[in-house]
Amino acid sequence: MKGALVTPVIVTVVVYLFCKFIVPIIPGSAPLPSSVIILYMMLTISGIGIFYTLSKESKDAFWGPIERFLTGDGLGGMQALRYGVLILFPLLVGWQTYNSTAVSDQPPGENRTIHPAPPGEYAGLSNPVAKTPDAIQQGKGFYAAYCSPCHGGNFDGKGPAARGFNPPPANFADPTTIAMLQESYLFWRIKKGGVGLPIEGMPWKSAMPRWEVELPDEWIWKIIMGEYDGAHQSPRTWE
Amino acid sequence: MKFMKHGLSRIVPNIVVGVWLTMGLLIVQPVLAEEKAPASAEPESASESNAVSAPLVKGGLPADDPTAAVWNSAPQAKFPMSPQVHWPNRILDATVKDLSVRALHDGTNVAILLEYADPTEDADDAAAIEFMVGDKKAHFAHGQPMLQVEGGPVNIWFWRNKDAKGVDMNAMGFGTLKTQEHQDVKAKGAYSNGTWKVVFTRPLETGHLEEDTQIPMGGFINIAFAVWDGKKDVSGAVKEKGSQKAVSSWWNFRAEAPPNYTGYYYAAIAVGLALGFQFVLIRNLKKGNRA
Repeated sequence: MKGALVTPVIVTVVVYLFCKFIVPIIPGSAPLPSSVIILYMMLTISGIGIFYTLSKESKDAFWGPIERFLTGDGLGGMQALRYGVLILFPLLVGWQTYNSTAVSDQPPGENRTIHPAPPGEYAGLSNPVAKTPDAIQQGKGFYAAYCSPCHGGNFDGKGPAARGFNPPPANFADPTTIAMLQESYLFWRIKKGGVGLPIEGMPWKSAMPRWEVELPDEWIWKIIMGEYDGAHQSPRTWE
Repeated sequence: MKFMKHGLSRIVPNIVVGVWLTMGLLIVQPVLAEEKAPASAEPESASESNAVSAPLVKGGLPADDPTAAVWNSAPQAKFPMSPQVHWPNRILDATVKDLSVRALHDGTNVAILLEYADPTEDADDAAAIEFMVGDKKAHFAHGQPMLQVEGGPVNIWFWRNKDAKGVDMNAMGFGTLKTQEHQDVKAKGAYSNGTWKVVFTRPLETGHLEEDTQIPMGGFINIAFAVWDGKKDVSGAVKEKGSQKAVSSWWNFRAEAPPNYTGYYYAAIAVGLALGFQFVLIRNLKKGNRA
């Protein structure tokens, strides 16, 4: 008779462990969001419920032990466990209720888009300055003067002036920054600076200067060349 | 009685499924709660903060006393500072690199204590706190106009050693700084052993919704800081003044709400309901068994 209860418990646990730990290691797969796991668990538990209530025999076999446990009829040594469950269940419900109403100590989360879409007029612009060693060298000189205090002499975003800024200055050596952007994108970001970002880029937080008020376009294009060269990256192109 | 048992055997499986679903949810919910944790900017190291919490205190605020012992009851937040590089005239190296902030409120007024290392006491040493005003976002650099987002003004509370008072100001971009007609901010500084402690005080709410930040109890607002080292160089020029200063980014500030016990009430009600459910279930089961 007990087997009727053990099986559904094992099935439930196995399905949970499978969703939680096995699915993520299947090649080409990814960890399941907990909402999906909850859905699978509900399906599993509903399935078990339906399966065991199909016939009177299976229903009695399934429900009998639970009923005897809850009513405490002839439980013998299991009485203590029964009281434990009967006390623990309300406490668990109370604890969950308390947790779900507790006020968070954390400030509201912010989802900032790091590389928002540029305005249309910048899409597809190409660098008008010829890529000569001289131009690159000049660009590196401008970079050292205007950009390196924050973005760093090593192009790693760790300049001496960077520490107080949130978001931190971009690390150009990181393959997820300028290596995945086109030159025209950098031109926009350097020219318009932090205040030029759209709302999803949270312009109010960015310290990036609006360099168009201080530097001519030609210098900006040369800085872009110097940046890619110095950080050992290449601009993204449309293959 | 046979009917009773028959009815129960119909109901019971449904109840079992219900309880199982509840249990399943209870087990999985903590996992869900973890995922819901806010993805706010994490400070780079554990010693840095992302929010200032101002606890509610009974009795007077230490508005005139930056060295009062009661400040130790407020949690300390630490923020890194950068030289102001966003707009000319910029500065590439500022004296102050770190700022400690503590805050207290008494339900009516708020007091914010800034603490930072400065090797010399100078007449032009100064510090300021900046807030957004109203619902519009404002750029952390003096509320600089943004190109794609309509920004609002910033409210600046300014203190300078030689003035020995707080000044309540507004700006919407560099070069637009204006002293308000109504002054609600008080400030006092104390210098000792190479450290400035400056306390700013203001009512939580002022009624000047267009100019002043309003501080709701229990809600987060944005806050930023600036510090000027007023040291003079050999030519007599002040090292840091105007836009040449140490600045912080936007961080969060919250005047804590009075303790709220509703969570405990809800939990008690939930425990009562669960107990009642168990009681009714077991009583019905026993009745059914006797049948």
